[in-house]
Amino acid sequence: MSLLDIKNLSITLKTENGEITAVDRVSLSLADGEIHALAGESGSGKSLLAKAISGLLSDDWSVIADRMFYNGEDLQAMDYQDRRELMGSEIAMIFQDPENSLDPIMRIEEQLIETLPKPDSKGPFSFFRAHKRLRQSAISLLHQVGVKDHERLLKAYPHDVSEGLCQKVVIAMAIAHRPRLLIADEPTATMEPRAQGQLFRLLRKFNQLHNMSILLLSHDLYTAAQLSNRITMMYCGHVVESGLTKRMIAHPVHPYTEAMVNSTPSFSGQLIHKSSLPELRGGVPTLQHLPIGCRLGPRCPYAQKECVEVPALKRFKGRSYRCHFPLNLEALRKKDKQ
Amino acid sequence: MILAARYLTKIYKPRFAMPWTPEPAPAIDRICFELGEGETLAIIGAAGSGKTTLARVLAGAETLTEGTLLMEGQRVDAVTSDDYHKNIRMVFQDPSASLNPNISIGKQLDSTLRLSSKLSDAERKKRVMQTLQDVGLMDEHAEFYPDQLSTGLKHRVALARALITEPKVIIADESLSSVDVSVRAKLINLLLKLQRERNLSYIMITHDREIIEHMCDKMMVLQSGRTIEYGQVEQILNQPKEAYSRQLLAL
Amino acid sequence: MLRHEIYDDARMPSPLARALVEFRKHPVYMAAFYWLMLLFALSIFAPFVAPYTPDTQHLGELLVPPSWYKNGQVEFFFGTDDLGRDILTRLIYGARYSFGMALLIMTVCALLGTIIGVFAGMTRGLKSSILHHVLDTVLSIPSLLLAIVVIAILGPGLEQVLIAVGLAQVPQFVRTLNNAIREELSKTYVTAATLDGEKGPRLFIFTLLPNLLEPILVQFTTSLSTAILDIAALGFLKLGAQAPTPEWGTMLSGGLELIYRAPWTVAFPGFAILISVLSVNVVGEGLRNSIGKVKQ
Repeated sequence: MSLLDIKNLSITLKTENGEITAVDRVSLSLADGEIHALAGESGSGKSLLAKAISGLLSDDWSVIADRMFYNGEDLQAMDYQDRRELMGSEIAMIFQDPENSLDPIMRIEEQLIETLPKPDSKGPFSFFRAHKRLRQSAISLLHQVGVKDHERLLKAYPHDVSEGLCQKVVIAMAIAHRPRLLIADEPTATMEPRAQGQLFRLLRKFNQLHNMSILLLSHDLYTAAQLSNRITMMYCGHVVESGLTKRMIAHPVHPYTEAMVNSTPSFSGQLIHKSSLPELRGGVPTLQHLPIGCRLGPRCPYAQKECVEVPALKRFKGRSYRCHFPLNLEALRKKDKQ
Repeated sequence: MILAARYLTKIYKPRFAMPWTPEPAPAIDRICFELGEGETLAIIGAAGSGKTTLARVLAGAETLTEGTLLMEGQRVDAVTSDDYHKNIRMVFQDPSASLNPNISIGKQLDSTLRLSSKLSDAERKKRVMQTLQDVGLMDEHAEFYPDQLSTGLKHRVALARALITEPKVIIADESLSSVDVSVRAKLINLLLKLQRERNLSYIMITHDREIIEHMCDKMMVLQSGRTIEYGQVEQILNQPKEAYSRQLLAL
Repeated sequence: MLRHEIYDDARMPSPLARALVEFRKHPVYMAAFYWLMLLFALSIFAPFVAPYTPDTQHLGELLVPPSWYKNGQVEFFFGTDDLGRDILTRLIYGARYSFGMALLIMTVCALLGTIIGVFAGMTRGLKSSILHHVLDTVLSIPSLLLAIVVIAILGPGLEQVLIAVGLAQVPQFVRTLNNAIREELSKTYVTAATLDGEKGPRLFIFTLLPNLLEPILVQFTTSLSTAILDIAALGFLKLGAQAPTPEWGTMLSGGLELIYRAPWTVAFPGFAILISVLSVNVVGEGLRNSIGKVKQ
């Protein structure tokens, strides 16, 4: 059964110049224990989608969906309070900039202890005992995220420690309640490759040990592919393609995915040094000036007359895509037969 | 050799140093390299390893404590020499911060040109338009203000600003690291095209392995201000001498 | 190849122009702005607008209530005071002293403060440091108190009040400019401009000044509202404009002993001060909001 089941979710913003549909009929389903990547360039609406799931969107935005279930519970029917409680106990979220998610004037110890569940102990000295126990569990949390020198870290302020360590603290806070779903919004965008590798190992470990599902948001297909089992590719508020990571990289069906794969040298393997990379023409359109029909239309190298109509979401061998002229279907069929 | 660095050292001294304050550690320490025409040098290092300081020193935004810079074999003072500023240009990490928000793009480019050359008004205008087209923008973009452009286009404007003085070396400080993949591919292609056409040299400060692998000829690994490895890209990528380089490159 | 003229009819307004467009969208801001414009016009054209002169005494008509009262007269729209002077006329002339003078002195202050502020901001080391500390000391005294000290030295009177209020406001401008310049100088685009070869006055005028207009504008409105209040307050304390002058604060204090018998002699000047200060503040707030919105 899927942990997160979303069907035809649209997010609109009311402005003076009419409504803007930032996310248009997006479907997403996330199985229990899966690492699912939501990839797309800036402006694709992936952050909005994540915020809609966690209920963090401001009132200017309206969210409409045919179905939006978390673990069998209807998220749309829940009131604000229940939603908050769910966020605290079952869904956790980490953001791009770890230093901004931490309070700069509090020691890390205080902040970490604040997020921990309160132990219910009774007795005359319960307060002190409780504090000691809380500190113990804070330390064990830090050990779990791979911090060895916990004494120094607990005493430090967020600006004293490196960004990688900060992100570890944020993750420790996020997993304190043992969430079933972690939504990670570009957790490694500002990090060096070294820290990024460590963080990914950590997330994978939690995924395997505690069966924690992860929804990873990334603007970079390569980063997303390193960690995830499945990828949902977004472009301008549409899901363009969704499927198993390895297959999708090997045989992209949608022209946009193909372009993304090709313009990342690490995927395409041997490229001639200093040769030009394949690129899509033009730039990402703004939300106010979206093209009609297929949103990739004007930029697509394979565009034809039919592309002025919005392609329906089609399914083929466990892959869903939104394109009139999909690529690589033959190769997929052949592979399936083998 | 278009640019050579000999034992570059930069120490940030506190303003009011007491006799008992310890001597601060150098931000960059005795850095040497040589950059030929049409070559690309990658500089990598962890945060705080001094790569940004090195970039600022090379661009002439920061004075050197010790060491010399040679441009085409001549010793130059990078901070005061206008000729140096004209030939060695820097593209900053964040294009939104490095463009003046209240001046239109055309005017900013024109001002840069006015300071570096003695062209007439009409010639300058022509050159501004030409440079905008070289980086894949349109003439109309001259009327735009920086906040009306997307990040990808702002990167192009920042590049145009560097290119307009017809430099020989461009220093790019992490300018491709925070960009979307498709924009990055375009910028890489643009940089490579310019290199082919004008025999430009680049110094790329980056932590992106793909850029190093695809674009660069030489590379230098910095650790707390010191060079720990320097050589051809393939050699270091295939057989890094230091464990630190291996970690940095996630090999 | 890359030429197509689709953008030709779309104008590209500068961020400041866009902020003004944003400002004009709000009726409240515009109402306050029009009120200030009206005051400005009144302070210039007072003799042509006002029905009488401010000192004309209508001896038969002492303490006539405003015209909408039973025994009010329409010739004296807002009534008359204890010497039979028309209150509407005095209010119109008062705009000269309370608003016009404040505007004038603030313009002078803004120029002076900007010049000093620029020197403070563009210099380094000892000079800048001394200026900084002197300013900090001056700024720690409330502006009204500082004005009273100046008047204690120079003696009461409208000119002295203007000097005093001006002296109290100049440091504010210097401080704002100094801070704004320091902040802008630390930004990357200034480094980029320096690398282009800009230095000295050119760096300031071409690169910095367009970015300093916002703080100057906002500071100007804050200072203007303080100046209006200070001039009125000093008038009320009988330290500023002296008795026959129709300055709003002076009128307020003149009518104070009649407050039970003839409340209109106090209410209208008080109301004029209130609305003017409010309008200046609303305009200032509006400017700040609009600029903030455009910057987003």
